[in-house]
Amino acid sequence: MSENAIELSEVTKRFGPKTAVNRVSFTVREGQCYGLIGPNGAGKTTTFSMMCGYLFPDAGGLRVLGADPSTPGALKRKVGVLPQDAVLPPAWPVGVLLTYWARLSGLADPAREAKEALDKVGLPETWKLPAGALSHGMAKRVSMAQALMGAPPVVLLDEPTAGLDPKIAAAVRQLIRDMKGRHTVVVSSHNLQELEELCDATALLDRGNLVTAATMAEMTSQAAEFRVQVARGNVPLPDVRALPGVRAATLDPSGVLTVQFDTTGGAPEEVITRTVGLLVAREVLILGVSRGRKLEDRVLQLT
Amino acid sequence: MIWTAELGRTLRSARVVVLLLLYAMFTVTALSVVHGIAKSITAQTDVQVAAGADPEAVQKLMDEAHKKFVSTFFADDDAMAEALLVIPLVLLVVFKTSLRFLPLFAGIMGFDQLSGEVGPRSIRYLTVRSRRSSVMLGKFFAQATLLAGLMLLVDVGLCLHARFTEPDFATGAMAMVLARFWVSAVVFSSAYLALTALCSALFRQPAVSLVFNLIVLFGFWLLALVGEFFRLEPDPKLPAELAGQMVSKLAYLRYASVWHYSSDLLHPDLSHSGVAALAHLGFALFFLGLAYAVLRGRDL
Repeated sequence: MSENAIELSEVTKRFGPKTAVNRVSFTVREGQCYGLIGPNGAGKTTTFSMMCGYLFPDAGGLRVLGADPSTPGALKRKVGVLPQDAVLPPAWPVGVLLTYWARLSGLADPAREAKEALDKVGLPETWKLPAGALSHGMAKRVSMAQALMGAPPVVLLDEPTAGLDPKIAAAVRQLIRDMKGRHTVVVSSHNLQELEELCDATALLDRGNLVTAATMAEMTSQAAEFRVQVARGNVPLPDVRALPGVRAATLDPSGVLTVQFDTTGGAPEEVITRTVGLLVAREVLILGVSRGRKLEDRVLQLT
Repeated sequence: MIWTAELGRTLRSARVVVLLLLYAMFTVTALSVVHGIAKSITAQTDVQVAAGADPEAVQKLMDEAHKKFVSTFFADDDAMAEALLVIPLVLLVVFKTSLRFLPLFAGIMGFDQLSGEVGPRSIRYLTVRSRRSSVMLGKFFAQATLLAGLMLLVDVGLCLHARFTEPDFATGAMAMVLARFWVSAVVFSSAYLALTALCSALFRQPAVSLVFNLIVLFGFWLLALVGEFFRLEPDPKLPAELAGQMVSKLAYLRYASVWHYSSDLLHPDLSHSGVAALAHLGFALFFLGLAYAVLRGRDL
């Protein structure tokens, strides 16, 4: 499980005079959950659509499980896709539609696959309903179901929880979590908290350019920074800075102590425990400790 | 697989009923008008006979008028005219009229087959599972099957009507005419169905596909008409060099229109009907090839 599932090399896509994606390169390893991050117009959906073979790159190379997505039929049974804003054909009953798609995918027992996928997204009752009668959230989940049919090795999800209520969104996130390690999952989303929670690595795009591609630990400085929310007490900043491994320590007016460290002081848990121990010993009351920085902060810093 | 699924979907939808109704209504209207005219002519001849005219002479006049009508409107040569004379006139006129309607019908039926999926992007669910060529051909053959079925229903209805209203029209002859009509209508419609697929592949909005389809259809009709208009038969008495100057190059325009080849589809001579059929199938392949090239190269 260490081969590259998806490889983008200098991929460029233009729409008329506008360059939507400009020489973007990154790789997604097999079994990874990979996030595509960026503000509106960053090129996330364009990049995603090129991975699915919906759009063709104007330059550069793109491989999904070794195949060129623009080759006819190359992604069959290899990739499950939840496309953004793709309308389900309204006249089809959901069960018939999913069975048809499962048959097109060449699955052995299409009706069973369709039923199981619908069960997975918690919508077995929609089997006989026409797709046009589904609410936005239900349609999204049915669309998710079709992406999961046949357990494809690569699953590409464009905004999987957009427009879903919190409970359903949590269920969808759990589905993605369950796929980790067994499937390669690429999630394109604006929801940075969700991506931080789910993804092993990310690519950050901005105005068509790749800003950075890194593991989530690197993005959020998991191995280099932690924060302590102080409730009350005087934080002995000079003493904190003097602790082994601590490179810098700052206290902001809201009472958040940010500590940056390196590996000279031992493993991250040792540095964190040492710092918290010092604060407790000086009768500083602590509300919480969080490792790294929020992905959102990092993205705002980079874009 | 896409073929059967699309066919099943269309058969489940209300559209097929509406289309059958539309086609049947058009045919019945044409049938009523032509039948009414034929009845009126028969009544006039009956009056003439009652007034003392020689029945044989009247019948001969009627036969000549029939032959002249067929020769003028439906046949380019004597062999074809002879072959068409065995078909009851009402049946022939209604069939030919409904054939004129078929390209429009094919357009109305299938204008959104691809644009209706590309616009709302539902085609994305298909192309990740199957080739774009399969999607296009599956939808085309679903349309073709449906239209062939509808035409069979209408042709059977027409032939049965002729069988019961024309005592001379025997069952065997009826079966032969039905087979010829249906096969020629299927071949004829193949080119227009493919044209519809092409127009549908060109645009994202179904309405634009339909309008463009209609424009192209009128373009083909116009091309055939202009070609026919300039197809002047040189006077045999003129010297050869003058006769050659009378044939305008614009007359060759008719060969670029699929419409031009339709009249020979019912020709008894295989060298005529075969060429007409091949021309229609050639146009169909050309349109389908273009449709595939458009769909293959486009962003979805």
